[in-house]
Amino acid sequence: MKSMKKLLGLGISLVMTLSMSVGCMKQAAADTTGNTGAKVETVEAEAPTDKPVNLKLGIWPEPTLTDDIAMHEGYVQTMKNLHPNVTVEPAYYKYATDTFVSMAEAGNLPTVFESWYTEPQKLIKGGFVADITDILEERGWLDAINPSIRELLSKDGRIYGIPRDGYALGLMLNVELFEEAGLVDGNGYPLYPKTWKELAETAKKIKDATGQAGICILAKDNAGGWHFSNIAWAFGATMTKDNGDGTFTANVNSKEAIAAMEYIKSLKWEYDVLTADPTNEDWGTGFTSLGTGSAAMYIAANDAVNQPTQVNGLPLDKLAMCALPAGAGGQYSLSGGTPYMFSKDATKEEINAALDYLVIMGKAPVATDAAIAGMKADAENKIANGVPVIPRFPCWVDEEVLAAEARIIEEYGNVDTKLFEGYFKATTSDKNLRMEEPGSAQDLYAELTKVLQAVITDSKADVPALMEKANQNYQKALDDLQAKK
Amino acid sequence: MGIKTEQTEQKIHLGLLTKVKFKKEDLLGWLVMLPTLILFTFFVWEPLLESVRLSMYTAKGIRLQEFVGFSNYIRVLRHPDFMAAFRNTFVYILWSLVIGFFVPIIMAVLISETVHLKGFFRVGVYFPNMVPGMATVLMWGYFFTPGATGVLNIILSKFGVGNQLWLTNPKLTIPLIILTMTWKGAGATALIYMAGISGINPDIYEAATIDGAGIWKRIRHITLPSIFSLGKTLLILQIIAVFQILYEPLVMTNGGPNNASISLMQLVYNYAFRDFNYPMGAALSVMICMILVVLSGIYTKITSSKEA
Repeated sequence: MKSMKKLLGLGISLVMTLSMSVGCMKQAAADTTGNTGAKVETVEAEAPTDKPVNLKLGIWPEPTLTDDIAMHEGYVQTMKNLHPNVTVEPAYYKYATDTFVSMAEAGNLPTVFESWYTEPQKLIKGGFVADITDILEERGWLDAINPSIRELLSKDGRIYGIPRDGYALGLMLNVELFEEAGLVDGNGYPLYPKTWKELAETAKKIKDATGQAGICILAKDNAGGWHFSNIAWAFGATMTKDNGDGTFTANVNSKEAIAAMEYIKSLKWEYDVLTADPTNEDWGTGFTSLGTGSAAMYIAANDAVNQPTQVNGLPLDKLAMCALPAGAGGQYSLSGGTPYMFSKDATKEEINAALDYLVIMGKAPVATDAAIAGMKADAENKIANGVPVIPRFPCWVDEEVLAAEARIIEEYGNVDTKLFEGYFKATTSDKNLRMEEPGSAQDLYAELTKVLQAVITDSKADVPALMEKANQNYQKALDDLQAKK
Repeated sequence: MGIKTEQTEQKIHLGLLTKVKFKKEDLLGWLVMLPTLILFTFFVWEPLLESVRLSMYTAKGIRLQEFVGFSNYIRVLRHPDFMAAFRNTFVYILWSLVIGFFVPIIMAVLISETVHLKGFFRVGVYFPNMVPGMATVLMWGYFFTPGATGVLNIILSKFGVGNQLWLTNPKLTIPLIILTMTWKGAGATALIYMAGISGINPDIYEAATIDGAGIWKRIRHITLPSIFSLGKTLLILQIIAVFQILYEPLVMTNGGPNNASISLMQLVYNYAFRDFNYPMGAALSVMICMILVVLSGIYTKITSSKEA
């Protein structure tokens, strides 16, 4: 009996240990995908290779966007014809900071993925993304990237991504609310504000007439500071001084920046034209407010016109875009680019396959037949989904591509261009575009967002003191950055 | 103490000494424990030590680069948000004691004294605990929305009260978050107290009633003293839990307005998952761990000396 018990105990412990180790076993099958062709280093970029390449496509549309998926299935078909050795594996990945590092460290990143405008430098610093300088050079794409956007995707002269779209911030308008408030001209076009003071007054009229917020200001996360820097520039502020020797000086407490922040405070406490809780508004909820008619104006970029329309249901002809208003210091639009980046573990062949796919999508600086077909498919898909087909912001400076794009806009344009005239006129004018502040933009935004939260929630907030504190904190972050170098 | 007991004690003592040597019979025991030990090593102890190590290095992602000693700790301490988070974390604990500690005790005592519908009330107080945590904070987020669209503001407007700021009033942010947590968690704690109360010998109550003690006297002199030690244990558990508060402020306010509700754990979250700065996240985690060890130590010291 005793030995029976012993035997049983031994058996059980053996089973437990074994079952556990089975759970820990590495899945051999998953490993074969990442390493095919890893040893082949000498293959020419453009020459079609017979080696099978597996392309894990993180830019595949999310499952609910069936039209987009159908469009991508078309791209895959073209890919099969042009590059039969490439197997495309849909691997929808929506970039998120809380999933990214674990995926990267486990070697599970898709070959190519989209990221946010805020992320490139952080991803480069962490060594999560592939250096694609040589590959771009072989393809002759290096000089085709808009230089200021290339800067955002580079570190120490090496390039780590290519732009999906360029963007420049402007002011999106919900035309329905403008109409309701009677703020339209004889032809029915919205009378948009030209200065920040006018914006406050326009917003007030809309609030009084419709009960909805005049403007949606963000104050939940760093996007708040990102938007605010445009307003500060218009008031004449420059919040980071480049000392030219690699060091930076914080300049958040200048009287211009303080005036800009006082302006935000007045929007809440004097004009009372903001949404119910700006401290809970982020990039996405801002579009919801605009699209669903609970805010009439919102600072946003041309590459996000699908957000109010396709995502939040605003009719196509009720969206307009104008330039950001001017202030005493001028009129500026923050510009940048949304990047495609590539996994650090991707082989040269895989990255090339990804770039080939981008060519087919019409997102590369080449105007081949396949690329133009890709652009057309994209435009058709936009029309079917009620998304405005408007010019992209030039992230490539290749003449041929720009001409092809212009022809497509002309052919497929589905909106009254007058509704977007103000925006494009301003952003193509001289000295209008500004890149984000140098130094450490994200730290600057974090500090500004805290001040925004304070002035929006406290009618007695001491703006100069808060900006002084933000200045000290930002300087500390800049010094820290310096010390780390 | 008699001679006999002394002898037995000696025997036990000797037995312990000889047990130190590994015996064949022990093998089975170790084998049964083996899976747990391996799991503990890999999923608890190894990551724990690894994060201490990580906190003293610079890193790319989680790949260690170079040893930098305590400089990550210094940078955490110098960070503008640290003092706010540190202070807030203790404010959270304070409010959780003011609002959250007594509610379950009161609920437990009241329900225990209830004669009719006891089961109904017991399920009722436990009900919020069955709602997933994320759903709870999102729901209360809608309640606390400032402006005309917030549920509480809609209700108050029926009584002619103007719109309140709720979570966006920096003075109310933390108490309201604690209120949400109490709404969700108090029922579960009340059940533990109820179990404690039901363990009290009914004879004592009977004797007290015969002696003419009313309901308040019974609660004051029998119920409360009986659950006192249980209360002490739950107190320290509550402090440890609230010290690690994360997702409630993260979802409801994102730490705002102007850092009014940021907690130490959210700072860890920001370092690790927003900035990808794992060494600083690890450094702050180690610091939190130290603080909790110290707090637990102080608590054990105080309670054990009182009991002695």
